Amino acid sequence: MVTFSLIDWIWLFAFLGLMVGCGLLFYHLGKRSESDFFLAGRGLPWWLPASSVYASHTATDTPMWVAGVIYRYGLAGLWYTFFAAWCAVSAFVSTKIFRRSLAYTQAEWQSLRFSGLGSELLRGWVAGWQVYMNMFILGWVGIAMGKVCNLAFGWPLWIGLITFSLVCAVYVLAAGFWGVVMADFQQGIIAFSAIMIVSVWSVISVGGPSVIISRLAEIGKSDMLNPFAFTGFFSGDFPIMWFITMLITAIIGGIGMGTSFDWYTEAQRIQSARTIRDASYSIWAGTALVLMRNAIWAGPILAFFILYPNITQQGEYELAWFAMAFKVLPAGMLGFFFASILAIHLSTISTQLNLGAVYMTRDLYHHYINPKATEKQLVWVGRISTVIILIGSFAYGMMMSEEITKYLLFALWIMAAGVWLPNILQVVWWRFNSWAYLSSWIANLIMSWLIFKVLPDFGIIPVLKDYHQFWILMGLCALIYIPVTFLTKPENMDHLVKYYVMSRPLGWWGPVRKEAEKKGLI
Amino acid sequence: MPIIKRKWLPGEAEEWTKEDLFACILSVLVYVAITIGTALSFFLMPVGFIILGIGIILGIVMFYIIDPKLKTVSEEYEKKQKTYLENLEKIERWE
Repeated sequence: MVTFSLIDWIWLFAFLGLMVGCGLLFYHLGKRSESDFFLAGRGLPWWLPASSVYASHTATDTPMWVAGVIYRYGLAGLWYTFFAAWCAVSAFVSTKIFRRSLAYTQAEWQSLRFSGLGSELLRGWVAGWQVYMNMFILGWVGIAMGKVCNLAFGWPLWIGLITFSLVCAVYVLAAGFWGVVMADFQQGIIAFSAIMIVSVWSVISVGGPSVIISRLAEIGKSDMLNPFAFTGFFSGDFPIMWFITMLITAIIGGIGMGTSFDWYTEAQRIQSARTIRDASYSIWAGTALVLMRNAIWAGPILAFFILYPNITQQGEYELAWFAMAFKVLPAGMLGFFFASILAIHLSTISTQLNLGAVYMTRDLYHHYINPKATEKQLVWVGRISTVIILIGSFAYGMMMSEEITKYLLFALWIMAAGVWLPNILQVVWWRFNSWAYLSSWIANLIMSWLIFKVLPDFGIIPVLKDYHQFWILMGLCALIYIPVTFLTKPENMDHLVKYYVMSRPLGWWGPVRKEAEKKGLI
Repeated sequence: MPIIKRKWLPGEAEEWTKEDLFACILSVLVYVAITIGTALSFFLMPVGFIILGIGIILGIVMFYIIDPKLKTVSEEYEKKQKTYLENLEKIERWE
C-alpha cells in the first residue's frame, strides 16, 4: 500500500487539471467539423502524430506484459514486443498508400479499394468489428488500471477502471482528436520522463548495472542478458521458430493494412498528418520511441528479478515495474509517478474512445444511417458514440480479471492470424476481391476460437503454442479465401483504376495500370 | 547512374523503386539496433553503445535515401488532394 504526501497529491491534481484544461482549450477546434473532431483537420506536423503513436501505445497494461516476458525470458523477451516493427516497413509502404487514399478509417478504405455489395458489407463489418474491439481494448486497459490502483491503494478494481476513464472522457468529448493528440503530446513527454526516472532509480537502488549482471551470474541466469538466448529451434519455451514467425509477421506485415491490430490506431494518425512525408515519419519515429521504451523497461524488471527470482504467479511478476517504483521512489516522487501512470493510461483511453467513435460516426451513422448529416450533427454523433463506447468498455473490463498477457497475445496475434495474409493481398494484388476478404474474416473468426479454445477444451487437439496456432490458422483460412477469390468476379475495373491512380499501390496491379495508362490517367 | 537517386521528377517518384526497398531494409535494421542497443546500453555494456551508434548511423543513411523521394511524392500529391477529398465526400454521401 502507498501513502501519498501533500506534494504527491499536488502532482496528481496538477496533471489531471492539465489534461482536462487541454480539452477545454481545443474545444473550439474540435467542434468545427467531422474532419476536425476525428483527424484534427488533417494538418498535423509529423512530430505530433508521432508523439501520439508513442503515447497511445504506452498503456497501463504495456509495462505489465513487457514485465511478464522480460521476467520469464530476460532480454530475449524484448522480441515479444518487437511486433511493433511492422511500422519499419509500413512507414514507407502501407502508410504511404493509406495516406493517399484519404480514408478516415480502415473501414472506409475498404469501400475505396473494393466496389459493390461486397465492399458495403465489408465496410459495415470492419466498422462494427472495430467498435467492438475498441470496447475490448478499453476494457483490458481499464482493468489494468484497476489492478495498479488495487496494488497501490487497495481500491476495489472497479474504482481504477471507471474513475480515470471518466476524467479522460471530458477532454475527448470536448475536443475530439484535437484533445487526444495535444494531450498525447504532453502525456508522451511525462510518461517517457517517468519511465527513465523510475528505471534509472530502480537499477541504482539495487546497486547499479554491475550488481545486476553479477547477481544474474551468481544465480546461473546470465543468459537473461543475451537478447538471442533461444531454447532451441523448435524446442523449449522460446524457440527460434517463434522468433522467425514473429519477424516474418512483423516485417512483411508492414506491407499490408491491418496485419497488426495497432494498424487501426495508426491509420487515424496517418490521416491526421499534413502530408504523406509527415505521415511516414510520424509512424516511423513514434514506433522507434516505443521500441526504446521497451528496452529501457528491461532494466528495472531485471532489477526486480534479482530481488525476487522465484515468483511463479504471472499476475504477480507482471506488476514488476510498478512494484519497483512504489518500492524505491521517495515521498514526493510517488505523486509524479502516479501522474505518469495516469498519463500512460489516459493516452490510450482517449485514443481508443475517439477511434471507436470515428468508426461509429463516419462508417455506420454517416455512411449508412444519415448520409446527408451536417457537420454539427456529425460532431454530436461523435460525442454520443464516445459515451456508448465508454459504457461498453466498463462492462468488458469487469469481465477480465485473468492475466493480461493471455488476452493480449490472443487478441493481437491469434485472432489476426487467418486474415494476416488477406490484409497484405488486398494491398498488393488487384485480383483479390471483397468476397475473398470477407470470407477470410468469417473463416478466421470461427477457426481462431476453435483452435485456441474450443477444440483444446474438449481435448480434441492439444493446447498449441502461439506460433503453431498462427501458422495453422493462416493455412486453414487460405483454403477458404483462395478458392473464393477465383470463383468470384474481379472488382469493377473503373473502380480499381480510380483507386490505383489515387493510391499507387505496390505489387501485382499490371492489368489495372494498363487500363489507367490507356485512359491517360497516369 | 548513381546507386541512390536523390533528384526526382514527380512521375518518377510515384513508382516503387530500389530506394523504397533500401529504406525498408535499413528501417528494420535500425529498429533491431535500437531495441538491443538501448537495452544493453542501459546495463552500461560497451557493445550496447556500439550497436546503438550503428543504429543511429543507419537511421541517418535511411533518411538520406528516402527523404528526397518522399518530399517529391508529397508535394505532387498535395496538388490533387482537394479533388480527391471532394470525391471521398461524394462516396460517403451516396451522391
